[in-house]
Amino acid sequence: MRVFGLVALLAPLMLAGCSVHNMVLFFPAGPMAATELHYTYLITGIMMIVIVPTLLMSLWFPIKYHISRQHKEKYTPDWTFSYVIEVLAWGIPLGIVAVLAWLSVHGIQAIDPWNPPLLAKAAPNAPVEEVDVIATDWQWVFIYPAEKLVTIDELTVPAGARVDVKLTSTQNMNGFYIPQVAPMVDAMPAMQTKDTFVISQPGDFTGFSTDFSGAGFSWMRFAVHAVTPADFTAWVQSHQGAAPLDYAAFDAHIAPPQVNYGAKPSYFTLTDPKLFGEVITAAQMGKTYPVSQALNKAVADDDAAPTAGAQ
Amino acid sequence: MQVAVEGPWSPLLGRLTLDAIPYNNPIIVPTFIVAALAGLVAVGAVLYYKKLGYIWREWLCSVDHKKIGVMYIILGLVMLFRGYVDGLMMRTQQAIAIGPDSPGFLGAKHGYLPPFHFDQIYSAHGTIMLIFAATPLLTGLGNIIVPLQIGARDMAFPYLNATSLWLTFAGAALVMISLFVGEFSSATWVGLMPYSEMASNPGVGVDYWMWAIQISSIGTTFNSINIIATIVKMRAPGMTWFKLPVFSWVQLTTAIIGLTAFPILTVALTLLGLDRYLGTHFFTAGMGGNFMLYINLFWIWGHPEVYFLVLPAFGVLSEVVPAFSRKALFGYPTMVAASFSIAGIGWMVWAHHFFTMGMGPDQIGFFSAATMIVGIPTGVKAFNWLFTMYRGRISYETPMLWAMISIVLLLIGGLTGMMLSASVIDYSVHDSVFVVAHFHCMVLVIGAAAFAAVIFWWPKVFGFKLNETLGKWFFWTFIAGSVLVFVPMFMAGLAGETRRLDYVFNTALAPYMLWEEAGVLVYLASVGFFVLMLIVSLWQRVPAGESPWGTERGLEWLTRTPVPFYNFAVTPHVNALDETSWRREAGAALRPTRYVPIHLPHGSGLPFILGMDVFAWGFALTWRIDWLIILTTIAMIAIVFIRSFDRNEGFIIPAEEVEAYEANINTASIFAEQPKRGHGLVGEAH
Repeated sequence: MRVFGLVALLAPLMLAGCSVHNMVLFFPAGPMAATELHYTYLITGIMMIVIVPTLLMSLWFPIKYHISRQHKEKYTPDWTFSYVIEVLAWGIPLGIVAVLAWLSVHGIQAIDPWNPPLLAKAAPNAPVEEVDVIATDWQWVFIYPAEKLVTIDELTVPAGARVDVKLTSTQNMNGFYIPQVAPMVDAMPAMQTKDTFVISQPGDFTGFSTDFSGAGFSWMRFAVHAVTPADFTAWVQSHQGAAPLDYAAFDAHIAPPQVNYGAKPSYFTLTDPKLFGEVITAAQMGKTYPVSQALNKAVADDDAAPTAGAQ
Repeated sequence: MQVAVEGPWSPLLGRLTLDAIPYNNPIIVPTFIVAALAGLVAVGAVLYYKKLGYIWREWLCSVDHKKIGVMYIILGLVMLFRGYVDGLMMRTQQAIAIGPDSPGFLGAKHGYLPPFHFDQIYSAHGTIMLIFAATPLLTGLGNIIVPLQIGARDMAFPYLNATSLWLTFAGAALVMISLFVGEFSSATWVGLMPYSEMASNPGVGVDYWMWAIQISSIGTTFNSINIIATIVKMRAPGMTWFKLPVFSWVQLTTAIIGLTAFPILTVALTLLGLDRYLGTHFFTAGMGGNFMLYINLFWIWGHPEVYFLVLPAFGVLSEVVPAFSRKALFGYPTMVAASFSIAGIGWMVWAHHFFTMGMGPDQIGFFSAATMIVGIPTGVKAFNWLFTMYRGRISYETPMLWAMISIVLLLIGGLTGMMLSASVIDYSVHDSVFVVAHFHCMVLVIGAAAFAAVIFWWPKVFGFKLNETLGKWFFWTFIAGSVLVFVPMFMAGLAGETRRLDYVFNTALAPYMLWEEAGVLVYLASVGFFVLMLIVSLWQRVPAGESPWGTERGLEWLTRTPVPFYNFAVTPHVNALDETSWRREAGAALRPTRYVPIHLPHGSGLPFILGMDVFAWGFALTWRIDWLIILTTIAMIAIVFIRSFDRNEGFIIPAEEVEAYEANINTASIFAEQPKRGHGLVGEAH
């Protein structure tokens, strides 16, 4: 049985050797994620002050005071209380928690996704790019109101710009999440939430939905491209003249439940500047896009007929 | 006005049709065959050995707290296995379905489970592990140990106790039958909202989940009432509050949480039921509904529920660590204070489950700080266990191994918990598998403590110990499996893997998934060793004697071993916190010198019948079979009436008979068949 103990100890070492570079959260691509990582190091480090000694005690005491060493070690069967130890047992965690709580409150004030003071300091003169995001069952719709552009499953933003994201959903809750880049914030039907981030350098990332929303959930990813401002303008230009999209077209073709298996992007021209607000209002008025059991069973099922949007 | 449902509906069978039975599913059909064969063998064995009467009289009709506890634990272990198999299937799916080129089997595009099936499996895994495995295991332990630890004859309300058990069984049975008839919820164990509403979930899955939890949580509420009344009113003479053992203290705090938190869940699920059956709009996104209301209500129950589970585990550690350190528990008064602190603060932290749902930074700051405060009393407990070991004489019997690993797991779970409570970190890993790995550390604390408790108190109930060698194999394989599953899971969380994925897009995650698969297979070995341990120990049945471990401390060890059905022959007078070790050291009498008659309640079949009726009621509601709903509701009311007019006041065991039992204690074991006893009270009882 010792063999299993050995396996248990070696496994994490073997894992660590091959895949640290995969742990993308250690490689932030913008000030928001960098702050999150900073606090992760700080808070974990402070916790180590209490965790490491306690862990050592929990391993050392059972060995030191094992019954086989009873002639070498002191034995105090009736020693059950010590004011000194109890004051330390309450006081040390109290002190650590006080520091951590102070840090936590400061951290959340700094990266508050509604209007992060952090970005006001870190990138005060960054141009603002507004993007309205609608999560449907099961795609991501990105509206660029200024550029009059709508994309599906692709978010392209200028590097260095402050991206102000407004989020809602047609029917179910979905988490908007771009590892290395943006804090996780839920997109909720009939409500509006906000997320804000800056991607410092051009690069490609992947965004996900993190809050389960049904059978097509696992395929809800979107490509994130941070490009230079010139490339961004070119990208917007290249999609001028795409098919028009207003609320009626959105309601008829995009909002009904469908899976975009390859997360292939598509593009539209925004002809209805109030589209985002109309989606929220419709949800408040009770608009739903019912998912039938037949559709639930058909998602990612080889036997079933391909669902709308399937590739 | 009932809501219209998708698919056919008939007055006779409701929504139930032949299509609801997955007779063509390549996974469920073999499962059904194995389950049916196992059931037939069990029933056949009972009939062959003519034990039907014994099982009906001595178990199904029993109101004895120890038998009820044993049945709770059997239910918990069976459901633990089912929950494990769900975990095995999830891990295997994620180990196969990685990347767009991954193969598909059994009709799935990737892996071997389409999302429709996979989503039910992880929802069932969470629901089963928390509500139908951990809760019955810990409730069962409390049931067996609390009356013994406080010197009581039984729980305060034995009949209510049996009712709690059979309601929990009814809920578990609903979850199990959903495997073969219809489908289970895909809305996770928390019931995601508005996803659980009819628009996204028109099938019967959410209904199964809702009624199963509803029924069993009413059982848990009853049990909490019972535990509180028992501890407050039925302590033996001399047992002042500060001679109450820590395990009973935490059971009291747990029961207070149970009594105050579970009714909130009952309300939340009732409102969801109104939405799904009568078309109201409490939790829909539109029409004036607000799903955040559900999310708040659920977690106002859900977070105290976490402490409802972990506090009994802490109580077990406070009993096992002193026993195998041969030393009294360190810092008893602060342990009690810490238990109440955890229970109290547990009420003020629920919103940390949804930091990402658009909360303002001031609110988040409050709930973040409040969550961290829970770390203080938890840290105090860890320090006190460690100082119990300090200058003790420690031996590594299996319960102690489980207790020691439980403390280590608590430290890892505590570290990651503090990280997550800082919302600035939570924003990067909320709803990632990092969180999944964190709370599995915490439920492994509970699991490890439950195994420690089952092995530690096993001889008290059964009169023989579990095989230590196989117990250690079970321990080491379980720990190796845990490390292999959860270390990679933490790392995958830091690699940005989100929760609840049927299909993993990112091929860089493949190594983590394969390590986790290896771990879950090592768990399979540990399941094997556990079963082998049970079989070998039951086969050998080496009598454990009156002091199986040689180091027992609490009052529960003052009864004979195996514990007789009447608990203490004579109610003891309590002198010290650790009564048994105090009496041994002081040279005081361990056994009574003269016996007195004992008054005990008769068993009753009504709780079992009520449980079956409530199961039928839940099934009828799930499938919307109107006539059966009405019929079973009437039957429920009738059972309450019949019970109300029951004038049976129990029976008396005369002093001479008690003396005879004590002389040959195996005849008084809870497994020995007792003669039928007449009604009515004769003579004076104590």
